[in-house]
Amino acid sequence: MESAERGQAARDRVPRIDPYGFERPEDFDYAAYEEFFSTYLVILTRRAIKWSKLLKGSNSIQKSMTDMNRTFPDNVKFRKSADPCLQKTLYNVLLAYGHHNRGVGYCQGMNFIAGYLILITKNEEESFWLLDALVGRILPDYYSPEMLGLKTDQEVLGELVRTKLPAVAALMDGHGVLWTLVVSRWFICLFVDILPVETVLRIWDCLFNEGSKIIFRVALTLIKQHQAFILEATSFADICEKFKEITKGSFVTECHTFMQKIFSEPGSLSMTTIARLRESCRAKLLAQG
Amino acid sequence: MTYAYLFKYIIIGDTGVGKSCLLLQFTDKRFQPVHDLTIGVEFGARMVNIDGKQIKLQIWDTAGQESFRSITRSYYRGAAGALLVYDITRRETFNHLTSWLEDARQHSSSNMVIMLIGNKSDLESRRDVKREEGEAFAREHGLIFMETSAKTACNVEEAFINTAKEIYRKIQQGLFDVHNEANGIKIGPQQCISTSAGPSTAQRNSGDIESNSGCC
Repeated sequence: MESAERGQAARDRVPRIDPYGFERPEDFDYAAYEEFFSTYLVILTRRAIKWSKLLKGSNSIQKSMTDMNRTFPDNVKFRKSADPCLQKTLYNVLLAYGHHNRGVGYCQGMNFIAGYLILITKNEEESFWLLDALVGRILPDYYSPEMLGLKTDQEVLGELVRTKLPAVAALMDGHGVLWTLVVSRWFICLFVDILPVETVLRIWDCLFNEGSKIIFRVALTLIKQHQAFILEATSFADICEKFKEITKGSFVTECHTFMQKIFSEPGSLSMTTIARLRESCRAKLLAQG
Repeated sequence: MTYAYLFKYIIIGDTGVGKSCLLLQFTDKRFQPVHDLTIGVEFGARMVNIDGKQIKLQIWDTAGQESFRSITRSYYRGAAGALLVYDITRRETFNHLTSWLEDARQHSSSNMVIMLIGNKSDLESRRDVKREEGEAFAREHGLIFMETSAKTACNVEEAFINTAKEIYRKIQQGLFDVHNEANGIKIGPQQCISTSAGPSTAQRNSGDIESNSGCC
């Protein structure tokens, strides 16, 4: 029979143990698998070609990447003397991303995010695709030249605080403190260098899984937990200082408890609410020019 | 600590020219060869003495990358002084001054004192912009000018203090309305206006003094 022959031929070509170390079961359909893999190989090759192409190309993005060496100066793996030195990996990921997403190019802040992805995945190409998931899909327009999505989300946080923690909102208004001043780093760097590493990674797990709403949950939890402390502020500078303080200490270090809190403390936070606030805040910002 | 006035400064200029290092040298008297990237805006403060008056400088250090301009613009408002910084070893940072200046002038009070700073003067061998070019640019646009080194601390103190002196001079001439915080100047807590302000201010703003002296 023809199909039996094909099956035997495939069985001769496909190894008994898969690349992950699993022995293939007795009834494994070698023919179907071989057929799938020949199609999948085309996709993998296409991605590999895309990746190598992304590393070449024009130098306009390279020009904007003069500050790479200022990523994690306190991390031994990013030092010039390190072997391998992750600076080179970081450079490749960001250069490739700049070529891939020309509307964004390279924006400061992305280096910290890519840096973490590299530290965790230890892989250039994987870091690239994860960065693309964040910048291209999960975060709404944070890193484009006008940073409108970022500015919008900072205002959205302001509105959420106004509803959920009105005393803090009143304090901010009273001293004329703009939200962008105290939280822009939270949003741009997704809490890198703000919160402890383990906590950041737990937040990112949720971010990849549930989307950008998580950033508001984290921000609201930090503010709510320290509301009384923030309200002690008596000046503009005081407020700025308090917002730095609330990102330190055991509350944020104990990442497991912290993650449980972000889902209970801020209360309900529907995507409908966020979408509505994003729409109105964006419109307001556009009207201001 | 009590102070007669608070002046708000903003530090602007291309990425990597040494804005954060200038601030760190001024506030902490130290130099960090590889400074963390500034994202958005950072903040520092120090007390200086001008003419026997304690003046608190509140300094806003901004991100230099183009993308962040739309965010940093919101801080121009309400600044009394600006340090506009370029790197003497990178000509493009000097070439971008015009655009920075336009931005600053457009979004700030017209009285804002602008100090042009050519930083990294310790790197003489790599100099790409002549001192005279900086001077000429400053003259043409009505700015004060200094070359500094955040690394060796050369002129750093002077740059911040001379800017404060100029603001103080403008207050004494009555060019700043010190009661309008949008000008980046605040009178210190528990300060008596008649002792903290210069004589000419007292004359020009005599009406305000009447109404404010009650709280002293």
